[in-house]
Amino acid sequence: MAFNKDSIVGTMVFTIVLCLVCSFMITGTADVLKERKLAKQRDELMRNVLVAANVEGVTHDNFRDIFKAKVTPVLVNLDSGEQVPAEDLLDFDTRMAAINPETSSTINKDIARIKTRANNIRIFKVNDDQGQLQTVVLPIYGKGLWSIIYGFIGMEKDLNTVEGIVFYEHGETPGIGDFVNREEWRTTWHGKQIYDNSGDVALKIVKGGAAPDDVNGVDGVSGATRTGAGVQKLIQFWFGTEGYETLLQKLKAAGV
Amino acid sequence: MSARLSTRDLVVSPIFANNPVAMQVLGVCSALAVSNSMQTALVMTLAVTFVLVCSNLFISAIRQFIPNSVRIIAQMTIIASLVIVVDMVLQDIAPDLSKQLSVFVGLIITNCIVMGRAEAFAMKEPPLLSVFDAIGNAAGYGFILLSVAFVRELIGAGSLFGHEIIKTVANGGWYLPNEMFKLPPSAFFLIGVIIWVVNIARRKRK
Repeated sequence: MAFNKDSIVGTMVFTIVLCLVCSFMITGTADVLKERKLAKQRDELMRNVLVAANVEGVTHDNFRDIFKAKVTPVLVNLDSGEQVPAEDLLDFDTRMAAINPETSSTINKDIARIKTRANNIRIFKVNDDQGQLQTVVLPIYGKGLWSIIYGFIGMEKDLNTVEGIVFYEHGETPGIGDFVNREEWRTTWHGKQIYDNSGDVALKIVKGGAAPDDVNGVDGVSGATRTGAGVQKLIQFWFGTEGYETLLQKLKAAGV
Repeated sequence: MSARLSTRDLVVSPIFANNPVAMQVLGVCSALAVSNSMQTALVMTLAVTFVLVCSNLFISAIRQFIPNSVRIIAQMTIIASLVIVVDMVLQDIAPDLSKQLSVFVGLIITNCIVMGRAEAFAMKEPPLLSVFDAIGNAAGYGFILLSVAFVRELIGAGSLFGHEIIKTVANGGWYLPNEMFKLPPSAFFLIGVIIWVVNIARRKRK
């Protein structure tokens, strides 16, 4: 009798071999699909940026060309507001940069509840057909009710008026908090202003609906107060002193 | 042993006479969740078919080596690995559908049909027969899923595979969709009706 499957040794050998075979099967598949997954992520990124910039005429087929023609990704330092030279920005790992202690810093006033943020952040400059800068797309994220909500916000040339917004990833309550990515709601952001006249962040999610002439108010959604509050806070954070304020002032001074 | 099990019986009997969902009431959870449109039901059926066929094949092939004390865990390991592979492939080829099916692809792991066939059939029978058994049971599962989805999508949205069949009020037609059929409870009623009909049919034949 060479191999007794029900002995302790037999059971151990079987278990180890089975686990190895199964893990090879999974890692093998993951490895085969890796390149395609990366390409998909890149496509997703391009599409989201174009949505946030409210670029017209984007279809399923032409978004790569439009992105290439109009959009330039730029890496900027948040503290100085200066541009940082970088390559392969489409594959820049923003999530890693935000948690790696070497490339990030702890937030002092953590209203968006994200603990750390990257020192250098990838933003997108979007040009119009004539090659003139039209929109600046900034990544934004922060905690909603359950999850971190990730998005992009497109700012018009005055760097105060919202051109478009997209929230592409979240884990909010299905059917309630997931309004953040619904188109009817996203489009209500168009034309809203982030700052008030004194330069403070004034954008608010208004419970019960914003007044029609309120340039700083976006409609809230009933039943999803805390998701809305999360969105408001993440806007407050990213457009505050620890967010894009320095960068926006630099851009404004440079006369974009 | 294999003489008493004809291939035809193995494939055909689980579709009607011994349907895993209707007669054994297995795999109902996913049948409730993903049967609100034909498209998701079809993809789910394909995923379950793949997992069921492969798991039955693999488990049957190594059944003589599986130690009795860890056999359930061994079956789970194989099934879980297959499900992860299916999930990854699905995310690659159909990301939108995979988002709609969300956790239910992952939950194939706990689908009692897969586990049940592994333990009840593949552990005792040779690989080829196990594969036929898997095809039969997957077809039985798919039959219920697609029948329920057919009714639910037609009444709940007036369409099939996303194509409009009955013009709804929202699109300027006359048909006001019954929203209840989009929600999981309607699948409960439909599966109940199917079980009822199958039972009557069986009793009559006896």
